[in-house]
Amino acid sequence: MEPLDSLASIYPESRFSRDAAFQAAFESDGLTVFRAKPRAVVIPESAEEVIQTIRWCHEHAVPFVARGSGTSLSGGSLPVADGIVIALNRLNRILKIDPVERIAVVEPGVVNQHVSDAAASEGLYYAPDPSSQSICTIGGNLAFNSGGAHCLKYGMTSNHVIGCKAVLATGEVVTMGGESLETVGPDFTGLFVGSEGLFGVAIEITLRLLPKPEQFHTVLVGYDSLQAAGDAVSAVIDSGLLPGALEIMDALSIEAAEAAVACGYPPGAAAVLIVELEGPREKIEQERQQLDEILTSTEPFAQRVAVDEADRLFIWKGRKSAFSAVGRLSPDFLVQDGVVPRSRLGEALVRIQQLSAEANIRVANVFHAGDGNLHPLIMFDGSQPGALHRAEELAAKLSRLCIEMGGSITGEHGVGMEKRDFLPEMFDEPTIRMMHRIREAMDPKVIANPGKMFPGKEAPALSKVGLHPLEKAGVISRE
Amino acid sequence: MNEPSETRPNPSEDQTLDTPESLEQLRDAVQSSPRVLAVGQRTKPPLSETDATLVCTRRLSGITEYEPSEFTFTALAGTPLTEITDTLAQRGQYLPFDPVLAGAGSTLGGAVGAGLSGSGRFRYGGIRDFLLGAKFISGEGEWIEAGGKVVKNAAGFDIPKLLVGSLGRYGVMAELTFKVFPQPVAQLSLGIKCSTHELARQRMARVAKSRWELFAIDYQPDPGIVHLRLGGPPQANDQIAEEIQTEWSGEVTNIPLSESIWAKTSELNFGPHDTVLKVPTTGPKMQQLCETLESAEGVTLHASLAGQLVWIAVSGNTRLRSIDTLLQSLGLSGLMVRGNGTCWLGSENGAGMAIGSQMQRAIKQAMDPTAKFPELPFPELIASQ
Repeated sequence: MEPLDSLASIYPESRFSRDAAFQAAFESDGLTVFRAKPRAVVIPESAEEVIQTIRWCHEHAVPFVARGSGTSLSGGSLPVADGIVIALNRLNRILKIDPVERIAVVEPGVVNQHVSDAAASEGLYYAPDPSSQSICTIGGNLAFNSGGAHCLKYGMTSNHVIGCKAVLATGEVVTMGGESLETVGPDFTGLFVGSEGLFGVAIEITLRLLPKPEQFHTVLVGYDSLQAAGDAVSAVIDSGLLPGALEIMDALSIEAAEAAVACGYPPGAAAVLIVELEGPREKIEQERQQLDEILTSTEPFAQRVAVDEADRLFIWKGRKSAFSAVGRLSPDFLVQDGVVPRSRLGEALVRIQQLSAEANIRVANVFHAGDGNLHPLIMFDGSQPGALHRAEELAAKLSRLCIEMGGSITGEHGVGMEKRDFLPEMFDEPTIRMMHRIREAMDPKVIANPGKMFPGKEAPALSKVGLHPLEKAGVISRE
Repeated sequence: MNEPSETRPNPSEDQTLDTPESLEQLRDAVQSSPRVLAVGQRTKPPLSETDATLVCTRRLSGITEYEPSEFTFTALAGTPLTEITDTLAQRGQYLPFDPVLAGAGSTLGGAVGAGLSGSGRFRYGGIRDFLLGAKFISGEGEWIEAGGKVVKNAAGFDIPKLLVGSLGRYGVMAELTFKVFPQPVAQLSLGIKCSTHELARQRMARVAKSRWELFAIDYQPDPGIVHLRLGGPPQANDQIAEEIQTEWSGEVTNIPLSESIWAKTSELNFGPHDTVLKVPTTGPKMQQLCETLESAEGVTLHASLAGQLVWIAVSGNTRLRSIDTLLQSLGLSGLMVRGNGTCWLGSENGAGMAIGSQMQRAIKQAMDPTAKFPELPFPELIASQ
């Protein structure tokens, strides 16, 4: 019997595929620059099927990649050529919402937004909000320690995962953490979150829920220079306020968002800043006065406060659609994700503009200004010979810029395929060796998402570049 | 299995205490002994009970980087927590998780190794959530620099988190980077009288998910008071406090901060007891613990995090055997952070713990292949099947 036949025997025919046409849907993820053909795609409907699949992979030393909605922007869910794709979308049950302990226990295929939807009637929500939250899954969020616009105040996915049951690449099923905010012993859950699928697959995840903020105060501010917007961020931070979000978009990204969703941002603005306060109404009433005074002192040329929830979402729509909207300005683009110390944002933006001019490549900028998390968007036309290569060269310079400035090569997208060559530039050899040892402790045969995070030889051939089909359809957007 | 009543010789009596004054000396100290454990000011003696050579980091002290507008600082591992909290306070910032045993002299490295957070952990997260980066010496004598120095970073494995609660069994921490927050303009403390533990649990659950966004929710089973801490502009605090007082009319007291429990709780000061256990739990089990130990002599309980953490304070070791049995029956695990004896009590299955996992051993092997540091003094913390 072919080894693959024994894997097939775990599944009914409809949930096991070796069919090339079917598999085409799984060849790529949100980083469309890479593609690879898996050997088979399996669609488990139970944790037990995931366990059996991974034990099969371990026994036969066949690589596997777990996949949720395939929205990874770092190529994290790109299949391994000749490996197995474990599509987890049908493990989408919310197993428990406990309003008393304020936790949710979910399967990995549950969509991020669905957790908050399920908790809403209890006045609770799940805080991490990547822009793709209407489609990305908790399993993927956990694997890549996803961020979002509200990390400054609430932290990343890791801050909200308090327990996890996982099947390691060895086939061992382990439970880390629990239902309490506290644990004793090393924080194994913290290590597992953000491990990019290199340890195994989470099959049951316990999330912390927070009380839904009673009130938001969302302000859209227009400036005539990026520098002025950056200075405004410093003024807000230095005031002692702790906004839920502090976001900046530059002129090019404003233009794109306006063209895509007519978000009504101030015409002619060189930059817009979105500041959002949130909390009990009494607190917002006090803090909004303080914020108003600060923003007035920054001499904006336009300022608008969201009048209701619909207006607030309208302001956010421009921000959240900005990156996919850039597809209207350019046939192709690379999304970068890097972090610099927040106080060096202005300097970083000047350097980005210089590098952009030198390369003669347009770069739009959207960033989580409160976190120093940059998202330069490198525009190019993939139909022009060498254009992709030049865009990637510029992307590499931007990653190195972040390292040089004391930041990080990724704030929230993960290393994946995209940044794996830069990991050894950010960390020294002993640290990388330790990471390898930890990985081998979890996955001695190196079958769990191989080729990601660390430089390696498993890179599939480069092919098509462009918007993800779901982005074209307007279903998802990039953070 | 653990022997909670067992006492061992005080390690300081028969172990050389090396106190390096530079990072180079620290590495030399690690390399010159076959088996090493780092300590700071030894404010949590049970966690360093071992026959390994003790290397003390208390002379590796000082904040090396602090830029308030970055919301981050970096400090040497031996820096006293008080130095950090004082420095941050001068710039209107703080570590929101109420660092534990700062007044007793605890160091930053000790706080990370022990994995302790106080009542403030409830609102914005614990020490694990604010630790961004760590520089430490591996058992092979190599410097490892994991994590980063910026508030957001998703590159590589989150090794700093693994160090939280590791009791120094994976490496010797030398320098740590933390995220900080602006201090709330003002704080206000309220107490709600509760006649039963069940009522206290219900009220904690009610306030925990309320619109008020409380900074801390604790419970003193004796004399039966749920304590709430509000943070924000004073006028807002007053308005919210008024609403809480209306909700439980006649049962809510405004407690001056100087008389509030928060500072005592952070110092694990729960009365005339020499032993304190940290027990992660959930609301229902907190209630069971309170009910079962209500009339136990020489035992004081204190619940934090709206009932998800119970501190059990005990006088002497004689009660520990029965508490161990109780924790086991409830499926809970306890870490002894103050006192004299082995640091582990309770269930091997509490909070997802069981003997048999390969993972915990494999991670120890990966972090410390030459077994330079002592074994984790726990049963397997990761349940396995």
